[in-house]
Amino acid sequence: MPVLKNIAAIAKGMSITFMEMFQPTTVENYPDGKGPLRGARFEARFRGAHVLQRDENGLEKCVACFLCAANCPSNCIYIEAADNTAEHRVSGAERYAKVYNIDYNRCIFCGYCVEACPTDAITHGHGFELATFNASNLVYRKEQMLASRPAHMGANVVFNQADVDGGAPKEMVAGS
Amino acid sequence: MADVTLTVDGKKVTAPAGTLLIEACKTVGIEVPSFCYYPNLSLQGACRMCLVKIEKMPKLQTACTTVISEGMIVTSDSEEIKQARKSMLEMLLGNHPLDCPVCDAGGECELQDMTFSYGAAESKFMEAKNHKDEQQWSPVVFFDRPRCILCYRCVRVCGEGMDVWALGVQNRGVSSIIAPNKEDHLECEECGMCIDICPVGALTSGAYRYKTRPWEMKHVGTICTHCGDGCKTTLGVRRADTGMEIVRGDNRDKSGTNGDFLCIKGRYAFDFANHEERLTQPLIRKEGKLTPATWEEAFQLIGKKFAEVRDRDGGSAIGVIGSTRTTNEESYLLSKFARMVLKTNNVDHHRTADFPAFAAALRGKADATASMADVFTAPAILLIGNDPTEQHPLLAWQIRNNVRLHRSRLYVINSQAIKLRRQATNFMQIPAGAEGKVAAFLAGDDAAADAIINSSSTKDQWNSLRDTLRGEQNLVIAFGSEILGSDLSSLVTFGSAIAGAKFVCLADYANSRGAADMGLYPDLLPGYHPISGSSEFHTEWGEIPQAAGLDLSGMVEAASTNKLKALYVVGSNPIGRLKIDSFAFSNSFVVVQDMFLTETAVVADVALPAANAYEKSGTFTNTCGDLQLVKKAGEVTGTKADFEMIVRIADAMGFDVRKLVPIGGGTHADMGQSRGAQSGEADRHAVWLEAHGLEPKLSPFDPMAILDEIQRLVPGYDVSRMNLLAGNSQHTSLAKAGPGVAHRPESISPANDTLFSSGTLGHYSRALKSVMESHEVKPAEVAAD
Ligand code: SF4
Ligand code: SF4
Ligand code: SF4
Ligand code: SF4
Ligand code: SF4
Ligand code: FES
Repeated sequence: MPVLKNIAAIAKGMSITFMEMFQPTTVENYPDGKGPLRGARFEARFRGAHVLQRDENGLEKCVACFLCAANCPSNCIYIEAADNTAEHRVSGAERYAKVYNIDYNRCIFCGYCVEACPTDAITHGHGFELATFNASNLVYRKEQMLASRPAHMGANVVFNQADVDGGAPKEMVAGS
Repeated sequence: MADVTLTVDGKKVTAPAGTLLIEACKTVGIEVPSFCYYPNLSLQGACRMCLVKIEKMPKLQTACTTVISEGMIVTSDSEEIKQARKSMLEMLLGNHPLDCPVCDAGGECELQDMTFSYGAAESKFMEAKNHKDEQQWSPVVFFDRPRCILCYRCVRVCGEGMDVWALGVQNRGVSSIIAPNKEDHLECEECGMCIDICPVGALTSGAYRYKTRPWEMKHVGTICTHCGDGCKTTLGVRRADTGMEIVRGDNRDKSGTNGDFLCIKGRYAFDFANHEERLTQPLIRKEGKLTPATWEEAFQLIGKKFAEVRDRDGGSAIGVIGSTRTTNEESYLLSKFARMVLKTNNVDHHRTADFPAFAAALRGKADATASMADVFTAPAILLIGNDPTEQHPLLAWQIRNNVRLHRSRLYVINSQAIKLRRQATNFMQIPAGAEGKVAAFLAGDDAAADAIINSSSTKDQWNSLRDTLRGEQNLVIAFGSEILGSDLSSLVTFGSAIAGAKFVCLADYANSRGAADMGLYPDLLPGYHPISGSSEFHTEWGEIPQAAGLDLSGMVEAASTNKLKALYVVGSNPIGRLKIDSFAFSNSFVVVQDMFLTETAVVADVALPAANAYEKSGTFTNTCGDLQLVKKAGEVTGTKADFEMIVRIADAMGFDVRKLVPIGGGTHADMGQSRGAQSGEADRHAVWLEAHGLEPKLSPFDPMAILDEIQRLVPGYDVSRMNLLAGNSQHTSLAKAGPGVAHRPESISPANDTLFSSGTLGHYSRALKSVMESHEVKPAEVAAD
């Protein structure tokens, strides 16, 4: 009875199709969704554009140790260090990053920099809308990556192009 | 000494009796970790990192204090030993701050390395760490107490090595702390040896603090551009908007004769390169004012003027003043350019020693000059005049440590109670200016004795000193610029009677010897060949003027009577340094190549921005005659090397530069040092230069081609090129030099630099200035005495 067998198989297959037709959709409605993320959703561990964190006093956590740059397999982190002084204090330690660039032309989002950082200064945020028509826009400067607030005040847990463009609020960006 | 054989980890080791176990292990490639042990310093036995197991000894022993003995069986690595070392580390880390990310030592810290090897990374202590703020002990020395692991290396190198004894230990046991000699600050020679030798980041350098990290720099081994001793210094460079910036100087790889020694100048005084007054554009005097111009304009103007003067008034109306800080290749080229292109013998430089007399006296004597390395091994040293502690810090270091480690006998004859007398077997003080008489007396002129005796010495003492010296072997005789002319030849006569005696003639600047060897004299060609005689240069260089030219004072005089129409000054500041009237050359067309608007450059008609010795390649000859390679480390855009400027001027004068510089093999791109992997290849460097409005430095002129010519033609320079390129110093010889000529004693004027000054260059070094200011006696302190 091969004919009956075939009909049964088709009926079984179509039943799944019809069942699914009445289920709610699970595809992300990006970019037409609601909220600042326009429908995008992430796992917490998603590695997007970097965020440079601040400590509880609002000072930059990065002490310009260059370990992230040393660990970066695609060599896309560029740092220039400078001395903190009593009048001009940017980070909590003796040194801070005067210049901190990440070249997203090269970054492969491997997270090695995050792993290397002894002060938990560099983290992967959830920023993902990085596409641009001009490659030189992909060299992000410290000011674009700095968290606007210390983490305990709800720093950029979720972070997208709008935040990037907005940059950190002036009063928080000491020395930048 | 007889050899002793022992076994370490199953390997047979043979070493001379008396060798320390830790050193014997090194010879077979076994590294015994150590903090407090440092070669050539006294033993401390403080850190217990070097523990090893020696059979038949009950407990672990310290390899750094154990002398090897026959049949010893040693284990350098076992579970027990590892555990012992790990516990030592745990103890050291007990109160050690977690500063690695900001600590200057991070990445080259011996404590980090040990912690990695032995894995004592987890602390068992819960207590809060005891913090102390960082202290500034001097403009260049900072101290971070919690990072100190009390190895006492700094205390020993300052005392034993430097004979300064500025660092000490306060308190006892666990509460010991390293302390400076003046309560809260240091009063010392500021050499920075303590910083270099510190295995951790406890002592840090004022010049380099928090600037960058060791692996972020490019490290270039080159020769110090200050005194005439020729220390090898490894410069750490990083990219800056103006080119390549030098951020650190040290010699931790111990290459070069100086080993890890550097004085303050070699270690910190590289900052003149980035001084904001640095010239970066050619300047031409227009309507009485120096105005920025293009290179092309400047070269055309100079070429036109020089050719005009030469063709109208003859080459003798042009004067040339060379430099004591340019490379041998540049000095040679300048000497050749003056004779061949400008057709003048009016060539001179700032002379600080009588090398022509020295060469003449040593003519035909093989092995008669001592190298800087010989000074460290000679069994006896005679030092007449000079104060090496101030003027030749490396020479002083070599002498001091030779006396300390090899029991060398040091005889010091000086008009001042110089610091090296503390190492002297015999110190004789003489009346000021009597050094020449000492030479005469030593050579056998007893009548000269009267002039050298003063209240502290008798004739008998002098006689017995002379006898002692005559009885020495392999004596190194070093003398300052006080001895010149016929006194110098008397001294050589005296020395030549001593078996194996060798001489060192002390001159003051980094390439003073090179300037002399390369013939920057009015009457001498390279290799001390008189201009009026015949030599290979006469044949190779073709038609050159035969009559001796004017020396510097002759040129000043000629200028005053309007006979000197043009003056070409390369890297020299005669007006500032030699007390020449600043209006002396006001009627001449003056061209100056320099880094800054010096006293001489401000009166120039054209001032060209020059690169310094840290920014080019070539060779230097130190005062002993050791030839060494100079490598390009820093770079300041907008400047050119003197080498290229000389060639371009020759070209602008319509001269076929092929006759001046051997050209071949296409262009050589002197890109400078790139910043490792981040800066990438040549074309990316070119893009970067373009973006900053800078020009790529492409030049067809290869200084090495001139080095070929120097090695071929200049007597004594035919040393091994292979060894030279490998970074070793190669001793040149004066045995085959030309006969030289006698010069007036007044033509020599010592630089009289101190430890903290360095001619014109010193004015532009913040590091030196700040140290000098901090050393000025404060009025309040004087009153308190
Ligand atoms: S982000 Fe972290 S690893 Fe990178 S330089 Fe700053 S402190 Fe160091
Ligand atoms: S001294 Fe060494 S271990 Fe200590 S903080 Fe500095 S780098 Fe780290
Ligand atoms: S800088 Fe030199 S002289 Fe001064 S304390 Fe250190 S080792 Fe001694
Ligand atoms: S300062 Fe450095 S060299 Fe001196 S005792 Fe401490 S760790 Fe050793
Ligand atoms: S001793 Fe002379 S050559 Fe050596 S570092 Fe000091 S100034 Fe430079
Ligand atoms: S190295 Fe032997 S005890 Fe320190």
